[in-house]
Order: sequence, then structure tokens, then C-alpha cells
Amino acid sequence: MPASPSSQPIAPQGRQNPRRWALVALLLFWSLAPMLWQLYTSLRTPDALLGGLAAIGRGWTLANYGQILTSDPPFWRYLLNSTLVGVGTTLLTLLLAIPCAYALQRRGGLQRQLVDGALLVAAAFPSVLLFLALLQLARQFGLANNLLALCLPYAGLSLPLAVLLLEAAFAELPRELEESALLEGFGLWQRLRWILVPLLGPAVASTAVLVFLFSWNEFPIALTWLSRSELLTLAPAMARIAGSSVFSVPYGAFAAATVLGSVPLLLLLLVFQRPIVAGLTQGAIKG
Amino acid sequence: MTISTTVSSTISSPATSPATALQLEGICRRIGARTILEDLDLTVSPGECLALLGPSGCGKSSTLRLISGLDSPDRGRILLGQRDITALPPARRQVAMVFQSYALYPHLSVARNLSLGMEIRGVDGATIARDLNAVLELLQLGELRQRRPADLSGGQRQRVALARALLRRPQLFLLDEPMSNLDAQLREELRPQLRAILCGGGAPVVYVTHDQQEAMGIADRIAVLDAGRLQQCGTSRELYHRPATLFVAQFIGRPQINVLQEPDGSLLAVRPEHLQAVEEGGVQVRVVSREWQGASQQLQLDTPRGPLRWVCDGGRTIGDTVRIAWEPRHEHRFAAGGGRRLTP
Repeated sequence: MPASPSSQPIAPQGRQNPRRWALVALLLFWSLAPMLWQLYTSLRTPDALLGGLAAIGRGWTLANYGQILTSDPPFWRYLLNSTLVGVGTTLLTLLLAIPCAYALQRRGGLQRQLVDGALLVAAAFPSVLLFLALLQLARQFGLANNLLALCLPYAGLSLPLAVLLLEAAFAELPRELEESALLEGFGLWQRLRWILVPLLGPAVASTAVLVFLFSWNEFPIALTWLSRSELLTLAPAMARIAGSSVFSVPYGAFAAATVLGSVPLLLLLLVFQRPIVAGLTQGAIKG
Repeated sequence: MTISTTVSSTISSPATSPATALQLEGICRRIGARTILEDLDLTVSPGECLALLGPSGCGKSSTLRLISGLDSPDRGRILLGQRDITALPPARRQVAMVFQSYALYPHLSVARNLSLGMEIRGVDGATIARDLNAVLELLQLGELRQRRPADLSGGQRQRVALARALLRRPQLFLLDEPMSNLDAQLREELRPQLRAILCGGGAPVVYVTHDQQEAMGIADRIAVLDAGRLQQCGTSRELYHRPATLFVAQFIGRPQINVLQEPDGSLLAVRPEHLQAVEEGGVQVRVVSREWQGASQQLQLDTPRGPLRWVCDGGRTIGDTVRIAWEPRHEHRFAAGGGRRLTP
């Protein structure tokens, strides 16, 4: 009996299913098109942009990149500032969240449920509502215009989610692994350093990426805490470029800044892609 | 004592010295309202292998966790050698434990699994290299030293876990159902090996299992636990021939011992292999069913006093009527209530 194509349950080979690939292409277009449009815009002269696609053969330029990289302060300075804040925030968050998650997970019981509930509320709280209060704190303690001080509110806002994520990861580890290390003579920090954190590698990596992304994208706190232009992080710096003149919006420069601001994130995700995917697919660790 | 001497020394019956290597005194453990262990007393002699045997939930694994220090007792004392270790943290008790799941570190190679603990304990590099090579050779793990635990078979993982325990150079080995993840054939193969590796040396072994065959095959003495209470502690001979409670009589020996109600309410127990066919006297029985077991056959008998199991080698068939009896020395009598032994 010849099998009719429609009665086939699920096509085993992806490439034999054009509809599936059409869907994938649509999704890719959906998420990549704005980025590609920015890339296109960043490489065009202002006149060429207005000329539309008819003038596709000419009007290509690197002048937009030249402009933002030679302005005062140069654009790479913002990238550096944001990287510094991002790395600082991520390290500080992990340093606090890992022991905290471990302690909560091991303690268990009612206390843990209460703390977890509080963390959930804190994680869900819209941080933009806090920026006035944080500004007041920055004034009081002289934390304005200090990049490393910016790590403090960022880490504070990232901690609840980071702790919850890592707590779930700790709960996945078989308890006998740690007990075995305990009997072998490992101290608390040795167990964390040699057994638990290495096993949590994927979870730590994905948490770190989330925290770094938050810090990279954060706008209201950075806007209010930083005023000196050479200390700006990426988000307020972008706002300044976009709003630099009421009469003409520098589309090309803005697009070039967007492209440059995305490159570090793309690199970060490419580097961490493997451990993150491994963490998602590996599931429970079998002894 | 080096690892090689631990292993090469011959298997000998434990020295009958009065000294005890491990002593549990009046151990109680509760979790909430539930009693896990009730007033447990146990002693283990130097070099002895003691099996903790019982059904699941009887408290045998809990006992192991108390000895290792992973849990602490609510009452009682634990003495290791001359030291009272009841309040000592696990790391300082110098006991090595082989977990049921083996608990190998999944992110480390076999060699790192074995050496990391020694590094943490501050053993110098030359000693680590020497001991590691010795134990890898002893347990035939040399070719697997770079493998991860996920790439090992169950038997290989068990050997790595044993190697790690040996390298701890403990005063006491604790094994929690180390065979339960292996298939039946491998278990029988490994039993003598395990005994040779662990039970030959000076450090005593406490071995938890729910399998009576395994307990008899490995241990010098067996402690039978039920519902958190020690039922009896003795050699497998003693447990088989003089069970202290009805529970022990029923738990040790397969097929299970026959139990008959006596007119005075006490219980009479006779093992299926101790029944004999007789010409006259005894009890008139009828064969209800039979199971071939190779050399012998197991029959279900119907008697006026209730069903009986009988292991014999004769060619009886279903429907036969036979007269059976047993020698008085094979009778076990137990009290009605707690099932305590009445016959001397």
C-alpha cells in the first residue's frame, strides 16, 4: 500500500519539510530584520538613506563609524564603561548569589519558603520605580559619577533572580555528591569550589549572561547616577547621540552606535552558547 | 599500612581479641514523630565485616549515616577505636563510605576523582602518585584513568568508588548497598573480590544490604534490623539455626520458614528443607503445587494445620498424599506476641 504523504506522522528529516523552513525563515526575519536594517543604515550616507533602495549602488560609507569613534569622548569609551560595569556587576552578583543560593537550598523548610517568596516579590518589582530613591542614596553617600559604585544597585537588582535561578540549580545536584566530598575531608569552600560550582557551570554561565545583559541595557539609574560624559555607559550615551539635535536626527551615527553596542553581546553569547545549551539539555546529573 | 598490604593479606576469620573497633551504645534516632532507630547496640571487632540486613525502611542506611556523621543520633554514643566520635564532624571521623549511587564526581576523570580528596587532605604529590597507581592497578582501573564516570559501566563505577574509599585510608569502611545497581550475575562475581579487597585488612567494614545471600556471602556477622530495632546479631549459621525472633526466622532462609499455630497460642516454625517423608506417624499432607528448582523441588502442601512448604528431591507429583515429620532439633518455637524465641 503506498503511503500517502499526508498520512506521514512527523517528517523525520527537517530538510524535507519546506513549511517548517518557511516558518524558521519568518522567525529569523522577524528578529533579525531590525538589526540588519540598522547595519544597512549605519553604512549609508544621509542622502543615500533618503534616496531609498533605488540608489543602492552608491552612497556606501564608513563615515558614520568614523564620526562616533572620533567624537569626544570616542564611542569605544562607552563600550569600555559598560563592559567594566557589566563585569563588575556580574562578578559581585555571582559572588553573593552562589553562597546565598547554596545556604537557602540546604536549609530548606519554612525559612527557605519565606525567603524565596520575598525574593520572588523583589525580582518581580519594576526597578524603574526605584530610581528616585536610588538617586537619593547616591547623593547621600557620594556615589554619583563612579562606575564601580553603579555596580551596587545593579547587583542589588540582579540578586533576587540570580539567587532563585541558582537555588533551583543546586536542588538538581544529588545530595550524595556533597556528602561524599564531606566524608573525604572537603571543607565548605572546598566543596563549593571543587564539586558544586563546577557542576553548576551551565547554570552559573546562564545566570551570568542574564545579569550582564541587564547591566548592559539598564538606562534610568545610569542616566541619573552618571553625569560626566566620559563616564557614561552605553544606554545614556545612545540617548545623547539620538537627542543631540532637535532639528536633525543623526540616523547614521545612531545606527553605527547600535551596531557597535551589539557586537560585545553577540560575542558574549557566542562564547557562552555551548555551556548554556549544555545546561538546558543535560538535565539531571547522573553519578 | 599500605594499600597493597591491605589487599594482599589473606582472608582470615576475625581475631577474637576483646578490643572492639566500633561500638554503638543505645543509639536512638527520630525524625519528627517517627522513630528510625530505637536503642541500637552494636559492636564490630577489628578487621571484621558486619552486614546490616533488613527490609527497606528498617533503619540500616540510617545507622550508616549516623556512623559516618552525616546525621547525628538523638541519644547514644558511637565509639571508633578508643575515640568517642558521636559529636565529631564527618570529615574528622576517618571513615570512608561507598554510596549506593557511588557518588562519583561526574565532572572529573577517574584519576581526578581519586586524587582530589588526597590533595584536599594535604597528602604530598609523590604519595598521591604512588597510591593512585597502586590502587588503579589493584582494581584494574589503569586503562580507565582518563574516563569520566558517565563513560563507565556499573561495575567499573563501583570499582572507582571502592578505590576512592581505599585511598581515604579509613579506620572503618561503610558500604551502602554497593551491589544494588549491578545485575545479578555481576553481583555474584564481585562478592569474593569485594571481600578480598575490603575485609582482608585491618579496618572493619559495615555493609548494608537487603539481600540475605549477599550478607551471608560477604559478612563475618550479620545484624538483622526490623522497624528500627536490632533483632539479632550473629554469624549466618547462628541466624539460620537459632533465630532469635520470628522475624529473623522468616527473613533468613529461602524458601521461607513454615509457621504453625500451636494450641497454646505460641508459634512453631520448621524450615521447608527440614521436613522429611515418613512411613508412619507425622502429619498427613497432600501436594497442592510444585516448582522445579533444578536439584530440588519446592512443594506446596495442604495439611489439617494449614499450608506448608517442603523442599525435597523426590519425584512427588500434584495430588500425592504423604506423611511428613521433622526432628525435634529442627523445631523453633516463638512467643505469640513479639515473636521472641522460646526454645533454648
